Amino acid sequence: MNYMGSRLSAQRHRNPRENIGHETAFRKHRPDYSLPILMSILLVLGAVVVFAIGPGLTNGTNLPENYYSVKQIISIILGIIGFGVASFIPINRWKKLQYPIIGLAIIVAFLVRIIGDEIYGAHRWIQIAGFSFQAAELIKLAIVLWLADYLSSRQSSFSQYETHILRNIGILIGAIAVVVAGLQSDLGSAAVMMAVVGMMGFVSGMPMKKLLTVGSVVMLIGLIAIVSTPYRRERVATFLNPAADCQAEGYQACQALITIGSGGMFGKGLGKSVQAYGYLPKPENDSIFAIVAEKFGFVGTVAVISVFWLLFRKISAVARSAPTEYSKLLVTGVLVWLSTQMFINVGAMVGLLPLKGITLPFVSYGGTSVIFVMIAMGIVFNISRYTELDASHNKKQFNDKQSLRIRYSGARRI
Amino acid sequence: MDKLPFITSAKRIKIYYVVATLIILIFGLRLFYLQIIRHGYYESEALSTQLKQYEIPADRGGIYAYDGNDVVPLVLNETRYRIVADPELVKDTDATANKLAPILNLDINKIKDQLNADSRYEILANKQTKDIKDKIDELKLPGIFTNEKIAQRVYIQGSIAAQILGFVNDEGKGSYGIEQYFDSELSGTPGKIKSLTDRNNVPLLATKDNLLVDPVNGKNIVLTIDVAMQRQLETILKEGLEHAISDSGSVIIMDANSGQVKAMANFPSYDPAKFSEVEDASLFTNPSVSEPLEPGSTMKTLTAAAALDTGSVTQDQTYYDPSSFKVDGYTIKNIEEDGGAGVRSIADILQLSLNTGATWLLMQMGGGELNEQGRQVWYDYMVNHYGFGKITGIEQGYEAEGIIPDPNEGYALNLKFANTAFGQGMTVTPLQLISALTSVVNGGDYYKPTLYSGILDDNNNLQSEVNRPERTNVVKTTTATSLIGYMQNVVQKNLRSAVREGYIVGGKTGTAEIANPDGGYYEDQFNGTYVGFVGGDKPQYTIVVRVNKPKIAGYAGSRAAAPIFSSTVNMLIDNFTVLRKSN
Repeated sequence: MNYMGSRLSAQRHRNPRENIGHETAFRKHRPDYSLPILMSILLVLGAVVVFAIGPGLTNGTNLPENYYSVKQIISIILGIIGFGVASFIPINRWKKLQYPIIGLAIIVAFLVRIIGDEIYGAHRWIQIAGFSFQAAELIKLAIVLWLADYLSSRQSSFSQYETHILRNIGILIGAIAVVVAGLQSDLGSAAVMMAVVGMMGFVSGMPMKKLLTVGSVVMLIGLIAIVSTPYRRERVATFLNPAADCQAEGYQACQALITIGSGGMFGKGLGKSVQAYGYLPKPENDSIFAIVAEKFGFVGTVAVISVFWLLFRKISAVARSAPTEYSKLLVTGVLVWLSTQMFINVGAMVGLLPLKGITLPFVSYGGTSVIFVMIAMGIVFNISRYTELDASHNKKQFNDKQSLRIRYSGARRI
Repeated sequence: MDKLPFITSAKRIKIYYVVATLIILIFGLRLFYLQIIRHGYYESEALSTQLKQYEIPADRGGIYAYDGNDVVPLVLNETRYRIVADPELVKDTDATANKLAPILNLDINKIKDQLNADSRYEILANKQTKDIKDKIDELKLPGIFTNEKIAQRVYIQGSIAAQILGFVNDEGKGSYGIEQYFDSELSGTPGKIKSLTDRNNVPLLATKDNLLVDPVNGKNIVLTIDVAMQRQLETILKEGLEHAISDSGSVIIMDANSGQVKAMANFPSYDPAKFSEVEDASLFTNPSVSEPLEPGSTMKTLTAAAALDTGSVTQDQTYYDPSSFKVDGYTIKNIEEDGGAGVRSIADILQLSLNTGATWLLMQMGGGELNEQGRQVWYDYMVNHYGFGKITGIEQGYEAEGIIPDPNEGYALNLKFANTAFGQGMTVTPLQLISALTSVVNGGDYYKPTLYSGILDDNNNLQSEVNRPERTNVVKTTTATSLIGYMQNVVQKNLRSAVREGYIVGGKTGTAEIANPDGGYYEDQFNGTYVGFVGGDKPQYTIVVRVNKPKIAGYAGSRAAAPIFSSTVNMLIDNFTVLRKSN
């Protein structure tokens, strides 16, 4: 049963057991190249859009027109390095690597409040050598790594450790609420992290009843967080009725809708965005989806959300067929991270969610976001090399369309 | 809930995937609604803020003048730069202020205050040269911008003719002088574009193709002024005033056969390039056209012309001058050097400047006595022939009308009118006076005095306008000839320094009392005036001199104004082409 896995992995890893773990049966094969391809489409789109709106961004400043696009390309190059390194780090080694990452995340989480720049009442950034570092991205990676390890390290069924696990998850969510939503005032990232925690718990087999209990507590805390902060109250009020206040609080929401709506079917063309010239706030960053909509129209936005959908589909396939509980949870964490972030960002732009101040993965300008999201994709890419064979608790998988992934294995050649 | 069947992790991942698919589907529908169904609405919303009608400023025209027969620039435009800060983008306030202060020559603390201001647009300095702009650009200071251009007037010939020219104020409007009078011609018509703009209303270059109207640049105005003559006249005036111990005065040189003002000097003046530093705004007006004065005895030339022209007297007529007249209970006397009572000619009246003689001329216009008929005839000449009591219409702002008393209304009319016959109890501007004298000595053509010669078209060709007489037959040719003779006689006898072989030079002094606003006249203050002409076979230039309150001993007209006239005549003959007598 382990024949193929051993044979193939010998070509690439001296000891595949070290990579995956000893307890599981798996096959090793070609990784899923559609992952980097889809990711690259989004990265290129983002870099092109940031380049195209460069004159608008630097208008009225002393910066050169390509300032933002050059920085974005540097970030993408760093991200490619991160992706490459992460895709060759043996999966189980993350169980050790997570500790410095978690430690750093905890330090940064508090440091950002102390020395971070305050922008719109939020503390999210630390300036390091001319680059601003967004604390939340590191924390997201740390949470995924720790939780995957923690949830998979139980011996058998979930219920045995139920109380213990629930308590720790509760502590984690509480910590996110206090540190990220509270100290950093970054509700959007807190929402993404909580969704990651909740979904990883859900996938690890946590009973629905407990999950719903935890969920309602989180909702309650979220509500309090919104009501207690004036600018969030305004954002929610604005969200409920954006047209009432297009000139002040609702300005960004209104401009986002105008930007998207004015794009029409085919858009105004790459260099023809007008809204990027000061009308729409953060056109390179939080609002980049609206600029894409203005430039490329409905055709473009459907293409972009389709690429995201394909990417999520591929990642969830990797998650489902991942060889171990640990790797499943890792991929699930990344999937939820990327997808909720995309939902919150696009949802806010199209007026279905209140504005959160969160980037669109791969597309938005911003080094930290690009680099960490690509590291996470590197982990997923690595895991996509392996397919679970011991599917005793999940036999149906072989009948799924997803079992087509076997064609990557090179089995025909044997 | 505990009874829920156990769901495998793969199954739960699948559930999440399905939910994610649904969310993306909802996004797709929402985007269809926003971008397809509501596209029209959002497109018009976008255009309502993005599309703006825009003005493209036209270039302001230049002001030119003559140097001999060449047209040379007096006022042109130069691009200057406004230095602006956006305090929100300034990173290090102290360092930025420290670097800017020495370059802009401004106080560091003032700059710091501006850089700390709660605004996004602080003007640090206006009208900076390209040099200074380049220096600031080199520093690459974040939040400091230097690209805003300002058209700045530059005065090629320095500060000459300042009051004629006026200046362009900080709002870009012409103020005073030619700049104000020809403001609409000089400023042109701004073009219009309809353009998409950024949020700061700056048109986006990519869409500049929708030009609605081209800007029409302002016209280049050419003045009648001769730059060299103006410059020399300003020097002569300044030196003449120093000699006369006076702090202000004016001289005008007019072309006797076209009414064109060739030079018009005033003192004190100002530097139009530094108009904002001028504390006394009265310096901006042109006193030659806006400050009337009692012309004094210079008026006797015009009185004599009117009396000759109406046939009331003949050229060589003599009369008995009693040396004083009692009119309306007031005695009209002459100056001490009049030579006493005796038989006098009209030439004597001008040469000896006889007030009684001027009164006698007025009497002849009334048939031998001071009466309503005489007043009417004289009033008609002053107002309708010579153009007193109303503006001349020269291309300058703030022109004064002067005051001519009504011939029928009021008390002591005979006395009043006898006074006007020798230039008192009435006011005229120097320009009105020279225009009237010009119309007499050129044979009767009254020209509207003008500073406007024409425009310089885009190919630098002068499109000049001929200044045609506004009225002809102001006086008969014979009257003109007689008067030219009388005035030459005055110069021959009284102002030898102005006599030049081969040329005709004529003139007449005036020492006018200055009306005291509290009534009566000042005992010790006079204005000196002089009118005259220079030419060959006929007068070519007419000249008026005015010296305010000279402190030099003697009569203001002969001691203060006459030397300036003499210098002006010599300057014209020596340096400018005055035609010699032909025989």
